[in-house]
Amino acid sequence: MSETIELSTPDGTESERAVRLIDCDVHAQPTPPMLMPYLSTRARRYVERYGRRAPSEPHTYPRVRGGGVRLDAWPDKPGHWPGSDPEKLCSQLLDEWDVDYAVLEALTSLDCYDQPEVAVEFARATNDWVAEEWLDFDDRLRAAIVVPHDYAELAVAEIERRATDPRFVAVLMPGSAQEQLGSRRYWPVYEAASARRLPIAFHTGGFMRHHGAGPPSSYLAYHANISCVMQSQLASMVASGMFAALPNVRVILTECGVSWVTSLRWSLDAAWELMGADHPQLERRPSEYIRDHVWFTTQPFEEPADPTHLLYAIEQAQLADRLLFATDYPHWDFDSPAQALPRAMSPELRSAILYGNALDLFGFPPFRSEPTPDQAP
Amino acid sequence: MIDCDVHCAPASIDALTPYLSDYWRQYIEGAAVHLHGLVLAYPPGAPTSASDRARGFPAPAVPASYDALKERVLDETDADLVVLNCLTALEAHRNPYYAAALATAVNDWVRDEFLERDERLRASIAVSIAAPEDAVAEIERRAEDPRYVQVLLPVRSELPWGHRSNHPIFAAAARHDLAVGLHAWGRPGQAPTPSGFTTTYLEDYVANQTIAQSQLISLVCEGVFDSHPDLRVVLIECGFAWLAPLLWRFEKDWKSIWREVPWVKQPPSEYVYRHFRATTAPAHLPRDQHAIRQLVEMVDVGRLLAYASDYPHDHGDGLSLLLAELDDEGRGAVLSTNAAELYGRATPGRSATAR
Amino acid sequence: MKVVVAPERGFAPGSHRIVTVGGRSIGVFRIGDRFYAIRNRCPHQGAPLCLGRVLGDAIAKVPGDVEVSRSVLLLACPWHGWEYDLETGQSFMGASEPRVRSYGVQVEPGSALVEQLEQARTERVPGPYVAETFDVFIEDDYVVLET
Repeated sequence: MSETIELSTPDGTESERAVRLIDCDVHAQPTPPMLMPYLSTRARRYVERYGRRAPSEPHTYPRVRGGGVRLDAWPDKPGHWPGSDPEKLCSQLLDEWDVDYAVLEALTSLDCYDQPEVAVEFARATNDWVAEEWLDFDDRLRAAIVVPHDYAELAVAEIERRATDPRFVAVLMPGSAQEQLGSRRYWPVYEAASARRLPIAFHTGGFMRHHGAGPPSSYLAYHANISCVMQSQLASMVASGMFAALPNVRVILTECGVSWVTSLRWSLDAAWELMGADHPQLERRPSEYIRDHVWFTTQPFEEPADPTHLLYAIEQAQLADRLLFATDYPHWDFDSPAQALPRAMSPELRSAILYGNALDLFGFPPFRSEPTPDQAP
Repeated sequence: MIDCDVHCAPASIDALTPYLSDYWRQYIEGAAVHLHGLVLAYPPGAPTSASDRARGFPAPAVPASYDALKERVLDETDADLVVLNCLTALEAHRNPYYAAALATAVNDWVRDEFLERDERLRASIAVSIAAPEDAVAEIERRAEDPRYVQVLLPVRSELPWGHRSNHPIFAAAARHDLAVGLHAWGRPGQAPTPSGFTTTYLEDYVANQTIAQSQLISLVCEGVFDSHPDLRVVLIECGFAWLAPLLWRFEKDWKSIWREVPWVKQPPSEYVYRHFRATTAPAHLPRDQHAIRQLVEMVDVGRLLAYASDYPHDHGDGLSLLLAELDDEGRGAVLSTNAAELYGRATPGRSATAR
Repeated sequence: MKVVVAPERGFAPGSHRIVTVGGRSIGVFRIGDRFYAIRNRCPHQGAPLCLGRVLGDAIAKVPGDVEVSRSVLLLACPWHGWEYDLETGQSFMGASEPRVRSYGVQVEPGSALVEQLEQARTERVPGPYVAETFDVFIEDDYVVLET
């Protein structure tokens, strides 16, 4: 359990290639039977009898396109679904697009309705499955640590358990939990991640209360609202003072778009000017905290009619060195590495988004070894 | 010039009891009901609840009488027309019968205290938010009086305003050529934001713009504008700088998922400029003319915005930078023409005759 | 350039074939007795368009009351679901959508038989791109694509 895994180093039979593409949000998704072998008898029996307790978001808001996935991502193998087969994913994503590193985020525990004993087992089982079936399978793969986030002590223990495996490069949190994400309830999780130099990826989805305006009636409205949820969560993180209290925390807001950040920064800064004196947990302007602590994955990248406007949004929110390219494979709103970034984007910005910013954030080496052609099997 | 959002409110419930039945007077006395003046939305001590100038007058900061309004706003303003928004009925009441009675009493009070006293004044119709049928009844009750120009709803709701259970409200407004105003704040008592219960006023204050975005999405998705092609919705005190990115997101998603809402015949951006307006306060904008210029390129502010002083609230002074980017025609639209079209039931120079 | 796709008898209604012609991947669909051919590449982000589903246009007069057209057929991209009129390649989501190349298809059992179907086209706002159309016809009981 505490075995340290070392990343492979070139042994002379391999050549080095410069890293050119890092995919920061890919979904390895186990089918339910795949996790069962990793569970204790007690947990397995409980789940077999009573199931996971969380209401399924895809049942409440059926994913109108392809059931939520690219129709061409279904593996041919029986018993698999999109994202469950490492061979299919590595072929259809990594090989096809020449991806150097992909960060796997298995969305098995975004919500935390289960009793603690079951919740922690599912997190652990997911991480075990990812390590054995995926990280051991292809050395381009990395992963975010799944944790039972609403049980902070148990989440911290799971982070500690995985931290010795350098292939786990982030901690996965949901975009919506039982409390606001700035709540002190979650700070121990953030502290543990930061102490291990792991950024925290907050992935859209989870508890999804829909307060404020109330629950939408369609998947379209739900999907369009995803950035609204994250606006609220980012405001919560800023207002809570967590960026001042946890100076090393690094946050990746994942799968919620990017261009909404500008007007939120303006509003938070204006509010801080008007009433910041009464919120001393904010020692600096909100936009400075966002600048220092928050990254964003690009997918689903906004597509204004005039691509220049997207560049304005990136400039105004100081995002040039904060955007992390992501495909979200195998979901339907997949962003193609070749097409998703507008042509109007400069080569420097394109490189930063496709790999440069991720190299800095995750500390990946900028060169990767690969077998030279005559040594390839 | 037209000022689209000026607040008034009774100083206490005593101002409303003459307009309530014996039963409700008994209810108020027996339960010690008093108006809390939306303290969760506008805490009296919060800097944003009242400007320094407003605080210079005797409390309450929100004008509670015509004389107060005249002294503090009308005598100082260049506006030919002022739209009064009394938010009292947005206080959360779970008793739908009381909520309906209170809304009626508020509208009667606004009429007698303000509308009867000054031809420059118009008002939003306060309605119960506890039951759509009561809101419809109150709209019908006021429809013949052209001094009521808008139906007032809070931007926060338990079901999004586009939900089909709310459609009769929009039908009634459209039927009588009334705008619908979604005003900042609304029901407290439930988690007020999409992320959950907030713990700071600062977040609550910023949340209005986020919730307005959700309401915009809802109204378009549920076909409210396809059903009522002339309906106008005004986002009051909910900001506007967020509009372009929201539309990019919404429109991109609609291109993929339109099949779920095939009654939405146009791209979302078409609906927004045709059917939505936003008041200018708060204008949370950076002191960076370059960024403002870019904003003006992305958001057709000359078409979208209608000026509001939002007296007595204070959100800072971002608007002046924005107006500096507009040409005369754009400034004229923001300060006057857009509002005249919105509230065109009776505009300056036209007598307020019954329809 | 003419390419034989399949024997007509073996090309069942409701099925489709994907062929490669001169480096281009093209999907040929049979809906009832009509054939359509469309480029297997979505102009949006390059997805294999012809792996998507063919759907009748959805028409709603009021919210909740939706009819599915039998005459206007749209091919939905398997990724983002952008839909293209099978006959013309026109996309119908908004004002600035790229069309995909579609290839005109006709069934000609031995003699020229041009079917002029009166089809109500969708009321939706079309995009600015026009798909390239090609002929498909039956020659000696084979479905033939002309590019």
